[in-house]
Amino acid sequence: MADTAFSPPPTRRLPLPGRAQRRGALGILVVLALWQISVWLIDLPAYFYPAPTDVFAAFVELMHKGILPAYLLDSAGRYGAGVALGLSMGVGFGLLIGLSRFWSRLLAPLINFFYAIVEVAWIPLLVIWIGYGFNTILIAITYVVFFPVLYNTLTGVRTVQPVLINAMRTLGANRRQVVTSVILPSALPNIITGFRVGAGFAFRGLIFAEMIAAGSGLGFLIFEGATTRQTDRVVVGMIMMGLLWLLLDRLLLRPVERATIERWGLIRAQGDGA
Amino acid sequence: MTAIAITPPPAKPRIDPGLITGALPFVVLITLWALAPTLSDIPAYKLPSPMKVWTTFTDMLANGSLLPDVWASLKRLAVGYLLGNLIAIPLGLAIALNRAVAETLTPVLSFFQSIAGIAWVPLAIIWFGVGQGSVLFVIANTIFFASIYSTVIGVQSIPQVLYRAALSHGASRWDVVRTVVVPGALVQILVGLRTSMAYGWRALVAAEMIAGSDGIGYMTLEAVQWYQTEIVILGMILIGILWLLLDYTIFRPIEKVTVRRWGLMS
Repeated sequence: MADTAFSPPPTRRLPLPGRAQRRGALGILVVLALWQISVWLIDLPAYFYPAPTDVFAAFVELMHKGILPAYLLDSAGRYGAGVALGLSMGVGFGLLIGLSRFWSRLLAPLINFFYAIVEVAWIPLLVIWIGYGFNTILIAITYVVFFPVLYNTLTGVRTVQPVLINAMRTLGANRRQVVTSVILPSALPNIITGFRVGAGFAFRGLIFAEMIAAGSGLGFLIFEGATTRQTDRVVVGMIMMGLLWLLLDRLLLRPVERATIERWGLIRAQGDGA
Repeated sequence: MTAIAITPPPAKPRIDPGLITGALPFVVLITLWALAPTLSDIPAYKLPSPMKVWTTFTDMLANGSLLPDVWASLKRLAVGYLLGNLIAIPLGLAIALNRAVAETLTPVLSFFQSIAGIAWVPLAIIWFGVGQGSVLFVIANTIFFASIYSTVIGVQSIPQVLYRAALSHGASRWDVVRTVVVPGALVQILVGLRTSMAYGWRALVAAEMIAGSDGIGYMTLEAVQWYQTEIVILGMILIGILWLLLDYTIFRPIEKVTVRRWGLMS
């Protein structure tokens, strides 16, 4: 707001720590300091309200024993597999439904209904059917990623400019060529956005699934820590979760999305309702 | 760009329903489900028949064991939603008005937004014990952070030129808030209202499963322990139907008005 009236045109920001980043770092430090001071002021048992120093000690211990790296690896494997599967199925069904009126009429109500049954609600049934472990978690994550990708692919496919398709057809392209060289590229920004939305929900889904249906992983660490009253471990798990998501989002998802949008045009997210 | 992160605008695809064709998969699915015991050797405790689920539903309605759980969940969601948003939106606007404060708090908020929800459940159990308090804490927490982040981003995305235009026409600080900040951030605030509901709903079901002592999530997971699969399936279907009801009665109308008025969401 304090800018001069004639500010230069916005140049692209370099990832150097600018004013906003310095202020942001300050904000984090202030929160940490307040946390530590509040621990000193209100004298609560450590299992009830652990101090940052306790949490750091627990982090070092978990790293040293190799528990945390092993859990992170487990979580990452489940997450990666589920997201990849959900993404490919979402794009596949999105193309199918987007390109065919028949399939759209047939499947749309069913998909809308299942979309409303959030993955969290599936986990009890999956536990009965499949039991605890990898498969239950994989299905739950695939399920969460599937829907936003599907809906966005659909939007992408339906907003392709007909001119482009007509041009291809006039030049003698067959159906498959139209799909691969017109429809998929122009739906790509939507697909990526759907992927990012789905990846966000899936990350929370992963933590919950691991709480209920796993014997390792970040969600298990958070849940198990509470049962054994090792609250410092709970907080380590929560902080790791937040940091991982921010890293994933800033270093992978957003750059990919930005690159796609710069290359193929502007879009908006769709279908992130439930 | 940041806005897209939490942009859920579920103006879902205009899928042409075609009522009869659309009903067909449901019929096929339910028929297969009903025939499953004869077609394969899936034991009944793993897949109770549709009739069994239906009679469980009517029985539970009749003996009054279902509605209290549904009511408890909806009430909790409403309280958490109001509590979270009523604090988050004014606070978010206040934070965003000062750029230094906004820049200082944005990383903290986005960090808390990314852990908000289910990850708080175990800690909530330690702090509040199993039951109402924990569940409410988790829902309000989830909704608060989803909503405040969205509000702050909304204010930050208002073009500087609008502030300058208002100020150069002699607007007071309050005028700027009233005519630039609130309308400018409104779309993002509505996005926040919607996203926070989606996250809040999941958090509600999840929190009730782990930390609840009643409610629809509790009912669903509790039944697993007794292998009452019919209650599990009933719970899932109710969770789906309740979400659809919330969506169609509350959120679609709001969205329609927003699109008509501001035309910003696709």
